[in-house]
Amino acid sequence: MVSSTRAWTFSQQLWHGAALVAAVALVWFAAGAVANAQKSPAADVARRVDASLAVELHAADSAEAQRETPIVDDETFLRRASLDLIGDIPTPEEVTAFVLDPSSNKREAVVDRLLADKRFGDNWGHYFRDVILYRRSDDRAQLAGPSIQRYLAEQFNQNTGWDKIARGFISAKGDVREEGATGIIMAQMGQPPEVAGEMSRIFLGVQIQCAQCHDHPTDRWKRTQFHELVAFFPRIAVQPVKGDGEKRSFAVVSRDREPRVAPKDGKYRGQLEHFMPDLKDPSAKGTEMKPIFFLTGKKLDLGTPDVQRRETLADWFTAKSNPWFARAFVNRMWAEMVGRGFYEPIDDLGPDRTATAPKTLEILSLAFANHDYDVKWLMRTIAMTNAYQHISLTRGTNTAAPFAATTPQPLRADQLYDSLRSALAVEDFDVARAERFKGKGGRLQQGARFEFNRTFGFDPSLPRDDVAASIPQALLLMNSPMLQRAISAKQASTLLGKLLTQNMDDREVIGELYLRCLAREPKPDEVHTCLAYVSAVKNRPEAFEDLLWALLNSTEFSQRK
Amino acid sequence: MNLWHRQLGLRVNRDGVIDRRDFVRGVSAAGLAAGALNWSELVSAKADELRSRGMACILLFMRGGPSQFETFSPKPGHANGGETKAIDTAVPGVQFADNLPHMAKIADDLAVIRSMTMKEGNHVRATYLMHTGYAPTASVKYPTLGALVAKEIGDRTSDLPSFVRIGDRAAEGGGGLLGVEYDAFSMANPQAPANTSLSTGANRYTRRLGLLNRLESSYAADGSDHEVAEHQKLYAKAAKMITSAKMEAFQLDREPDAMRDAYGRTDFGSGCLLARRLVEAGVTFVEVDVNGWDTHDDNFGRVSKLCGQVDQPAAQLITDLKQRGMLDKTLVIWMGEFGRTPRINPRGGRDHFPKAFNLAIAGGGVRGGQVIGSTDAGGDEVKDRPIGVQDLFQSFCKSLQIDPTVENQSGAGRPIKIVDGGKPVEELFA
Repeated sequence: MVSSTRAWTFSQQLWHGAALVAAVALVWFAAGAVANAQKSPAADVARRVDASLAVELHAADSAEAQRETPIVDDETFLRRASLDLIGDIPTPEEVTAFVLDPSSNKREAVVDRLLADKRFGDNWGHYFRDVILYRRSDDRAQLAGPSIQRYLAEQFNQNTGWDKIARGFISAKGDVREEGATGIIMAQMGQPPEVAGEMSRIFLGVQIQCAQCHDHPTDRWKRTQFHELVAFFPRIAVQPVKGDGEKRSFAVVSRDREPRVAPKDGKYRGQLEHFMPDLKDPSAKGTEMKPIFFLTGKKLDLGTPDVQRRETLADWFTAKSNPWFARAFVNRMWAEMVGRGFYEPIDDLGPDRTATAPKTLEILSLAFANHDYDVKWLMRTIAMTNAYQHISLTRGTNTAAPFAATTPQPLRADQLYDSLRSALAVEDFDVARAERFKGKGGRLQQGARFEFNRTFGFDPSLPRDDVAASIPQALLLMNSPMLQRAISAKQASTLLGKLLTQNMDDREVIGELYLRCLAREPKPDEVHTCLAYVSAVKNRPEAFEDLLWALLNSTEFSQRK
Repeated sequence: MNLWHRQLGLRVNRDGVIDRRDFVRGVSAAGLAAGALNWSELVSAKADELRSRGMACILLFMRGGPSQFETFSPKPGHANGGETKAIDTAVPGVQFADNLPHMAKIADDLAVIRSMTMKEGNHVRATYLMHTGYAPTASVKYPTLGALVAKEIGDRTSDLPSFVRIGDRAAEGGGGLLGVEYDAFSMANPQAPANTSLSTGANRYTRRLGLLNRLESSYAADGSDHEVAEHQKLYAKAAKMITSAKMEAFQLDREPDAMRDAYGRTDFGSGCLLARRLVEAGVTFVEVDVNGWDTHDDNFGRVSKLCGQVDQPAAQLITDLKQRGMLDKTLVIWMGEFGRTPRINPRGGRDHFPKAFNLAIAGGGVRGGQVIGSTDAGGDEVKDRPIGVQDLFQSFCKSLQIDPTVENQSGAGRPIKIVDGGKPVEELFA
């Protein structure tokens, strides 16, 4: 313990010193990034992660707990990995095949299969669309939702490195309905301070925007440094685009020439350089800021064109000598999969925050950088750790040491929607016109998935403890006509209609419904409860509609355990 | 402590029951006997009771930025006033634009502020500011007024949600850092809300819920007892709501035809009527939105039409609340996100103008029949009594007996006051 954290403590002390640049590079390089880039197989790194966790958490008296927490059973593992990787539940056939598969490496194999599934990209595309758009400061940014998702889905499926994806977002240009990488800029309507803050939060996990108005007593970043970061973005602009017919859009453009219109309202918009406002006199022009990257002190000259500013910043953000870039992504992905981040909240890292098991985060982050920010490699590695494969313990009473167990997570809106589609074997839920949500001006919105996102969506960067369920969510699952139609047994075309006509054995139907909805066999007492219910109701279709309704409305269905 | 004192005094005066002993009598006899409680402890001991005293708020939000010149601040005889005429109101010496004949008749219930001023000229940012009291940032999600009010004085025991918004629109904000439980119960239009009709007969519904609970027990026993308990609480709340007799509040057809006609059978008229029914049924905050005030062209024709939609229902709402004895405890706010330019543009429109605009307030202990603040002859500048957004929010808090210094925690653990700065507009309550 003592020796293993020395490097870390040392690096923290250095952070406090003046030799900031040297310190980061030194520790990070010494630990093996870049200098001696060796690529280790996922399983090896997973073992090192578990070993490191055991050592690091020993002091917290948790190695005991760590050892004692059992590894999760096959059924739960498959549902967990499916939801985490492809945002969907496994089919009954997949569950059965997986459970019966005798091979010893079947968990690794199924993770590989899931990573190759097209839904992998869709799932994480939905996730990062939400990361970006839940912090939008302008509602019109929702226009860009589909293109952000599409762009990310493609990149994740092609396994584009996270560094290249980040570069795409930082240097993006073009129509926001077509170029998904414009999402972060669009979400903030091109406002340089907001854009700079979001780039730093999402890609570095450093919430430097807190220093926008004043120096924060507990943070090292000064207000000036925040505004120097903003100075990479003064030449971006978001402009309306007249599309075909009614299709309105916006485009992110570079604006390297002085605007013709002089500022009229005292706000200095459209300047070619960023001016830090004068706090004592908000109407004054403020101080002209040079683009300087706060982590390294590297700078660009005033007058540098927009493209060059942003490309250079992307270089500096994603450089392997910058540890925060890898850490931020690793921390986020680990938190999503294991249920708790090394740093919490997951997008608030930095030298002034304290991590749980920092050495372990370092092992994973270094390896991630050495693997050229290979996203699938990282997910595979995490999925191979014991920390990931532990059973989950209830959030309410989970007093076990960190990472000794995983934590149940509420499904995100798209995961829930896709799980319902799979469970009920429908392509898309049919929302009658009259039931559709009418948005601005009574325009019909996109239907069922939109409805789920509106009702079940949450900001994925928030601690899950802060994500409370709402009455409209319960009502949608309990009562919505679209779901009621899909669970009906009265039509031959529905899942239940088919099941009940094909199979007269109640026990088998119960088993099938459990497999479909919860990806597991029912337990004997559950079978008993269900059979008793069916016989008490004395109406087979009605009784099974009720059972299907109950399974879809259960806590278990709406969570990933 | 002083603050509570003042609010309490207010409440008592307004109720016409000047009896502090009544208030004190309810507090733990033991605490009193031992002399262990000071005044502020007494107050906090009774905070729950204060919550249920039934203060409520209805926000009529004019989305797009209503023109002050064509509503409560006409400038007849000045070029900036355009073609809009002024009419006398129930209050001698006070004139409104001729677009608001019904509001003019109830002017003695209205406090008009003609000197609102702020800096946000962008719809989204201004809408956010006027709903939360804060300018938007990416790092802190400030709660909207309805969420703040619901948290502080909402009745947690009510079958119905504390915050309902009619005319669903995310830009106007939700629970923000308070969490989704303070989000609005949103309705796109003033018809019965989605998914609230039972999907089966009541008996079968109960039966289903029973099956669900039985099946959940096995999952709960398997290490998810906390999650199941939370889930069941939510389902119980939802079931309680939709099976509650109070759901009748959403049924406008229970109102006599004459009442529906008095409000007008438009979306906004129905929304106002629904707001009154919901407040009667125990909802604490209702927001009713009406869109279309962004009159960059044909300002005079369009505002006149919009006022035609809004004038009668809003006046009827205030009159109706008054007749039912509810107005003293219900703060009604008519406002938009900003005003419009004194200069009329070449398309006969007015552009965004946050520098000097107006709004109107009634009820909730606010003294009607007054105009606060003024602008210069052309409406270009606030001439006296400039009132900022924080002052306005302080005033809302005062009316609703909410302590504006209460701090909520942002996601990053930063304390955020309900209102940061500003002073209540004391004239409103004098």
